[in-house]
Amino acid sequence: MTAGNTVPSKRPNIIVLPPRTKRRFYGDGIPGADLETLAGKLIVIEGADGSGRSTQINRLVEWLEGCGHATIQVGLKRSTLVSDELDRAQHGNVLSRTTLSLFYATDFADQLENVILPSLRAGMMVLADRYIYTLMVRDLVRGMDEDWLKNLYGIALVPDAVFYLNVSPEELVQRTFQKNLALDYWESGMDLGLTRDMFDSFLKYQTLAEAQFKRLQSLYGFTIIDGHRPMDAIFAELQQRIEAVLAGTPA
Amino acid sequence: MRLPIPRKNKLVFRLALRSLRQAVTKTFSELDFPGRLIAVEGLDGSGKSTQIHLLKKWLELQGLKVFFSSWNSSAMVKSATSKGKNEHLLTPTTFSLIHATDFADRYERQLMPLLRAGYIVLCDRYIFTAYVRDVVRGCSPRWVRGLYHFAALPDLTFFFKADLEVSLGRILDGRPELKYFEAGMDMGLSKDPYESFRIFQGRMLDRYMGMSEEFRFVTVDANQPIETQQSFVRETVASRLNLETFARQKVRAV
Repeated sequence: MTAGNTVPSKRPNIIVLPPRTKRRFYGDGIPGADLETLAGKLIVIEGADGSGRSTQINRLVEWLEGCGHATIQVGLKRSTLVSDELDRAQHGNVLSRTTLSLFYATDFADQLENVILPSLRAGMMVLADRYIYTLMVRDLVRGMDEDWLKNLYGIALVPDAVFYLNVSPEELVQRTFQKNLALDYWESGMDLGLTRDMFDSFLKYQTLAEAQFKRLQSLYGFTIIDGHRPMDAIFAELQQRIEAVLAGTPA
Repeated sequence: MRLPIPRKNKLVFRLALRSLRQAVTKTFSELDFPGRLIAVEGLDGSGKSTQIHLLKKWLELQGLKVFFSSWNSSAMVKSATSKGKNEHLLTPTTFSLIHATDFADRYERQLMPLLRAGYIVLCDRYIFTAYVRDVVRGCSPRWVRGLYHFAALPDLTFFFKADLEVSLGRILDGRPELKYFEAGMDMGLSKDPYESFRIFQGRMLDRYMGMSEEFRFVTVDANQPIETQQSFVRETVASRLNLETFARQKVRAV
């Protein structure tokens, strides 16, 4: 069933109530959080800039709300607590690695406690435009200790589904130029000093990131989606997989 | 039995191990830093800030390379911390993370470079404050310790142990308006800020005492007169550090 094919009728379709599933945190979690009360679903879309994340999330929102599910979107650097400070810090490139990493973790924790958990408790579908995996990949590429990162993000709730939109660095370059006509300093990993040439640095950095993503995939078991295909094909696959999640039978 | 490690991976393997083991279990002197870190810990009102100030004066008057750093003072993180505190936006987890962020900023940009340059760095509160406070707030001890795993241990830690009533008195007499987080009001211990503060401080004192041996705290009886405490602090520092090695180099006239 896709939203586009539904024939408008007077009698609404039955809105299916997703069954509750057992929930857990990756590590010690948030002190005092009651996991039993989380009725909604947490669906994460991961992928580099230009992998089509936001396009797909917008379509998923339309579709899910059409099916009668309330949705809410979260993403990185959107917390009331530290998002402005993070922006400034990144702009000036003044913070060292551990500091920046902890700053991002603070931003994540703030949204987890103030948006994600309350929304799930209210029975909403939470669509996360990136989650802890992007944050971990960025730090792993920069040589941070993996055990340290795993402990840090032990506060995170295990999502109901994680989809990684995989697009090759060569294709990402083309898409980025189509959209912005310029490469982003951080997305090119210029702070790593791989090379002074931004184009080369972008390719190298994205290749390193892709490798780390695939490694994390084997640890956390998220679904890799081939992001080179047409938008509709990707959406159809996401829809099918999310339907399974909502039915309580993820593949 | 040791498993053979492929030659190519040997260096990477060794470096990875070192980064894991180096922190927390070792002090700066054990890590071969030329500088030394001295930390003071204790409850609010234990008089530790006064003592570290007097220690700093004494070391400076001897012409030594000294630097002082206080908890929660990184400029970059400050605006987020004060926003969080003023608007009561912080939970135990974000409270812990934002202080860790502040600490990391000072550690990486200030403490580490100065310790490499051979300074005596004095810290008013160090990672133990987080171990104590964040855990009393409800964070998992393992998680909090893990957060600070990048930080080496102080070469010398003074713990200022005052009777709970003494330190409570010092705070409550002088500054009757207790701040929300300072009083532990976020924990719902009591509706009365003073009662909440008492319970909160009492629990922190228990935590401090519990880790005193593990981290080789030098305990100072903070019920004694200021001068008596300072003599003990100065004597301890003089016996544990070879102070001459921290002398500022005289600028020679050419």
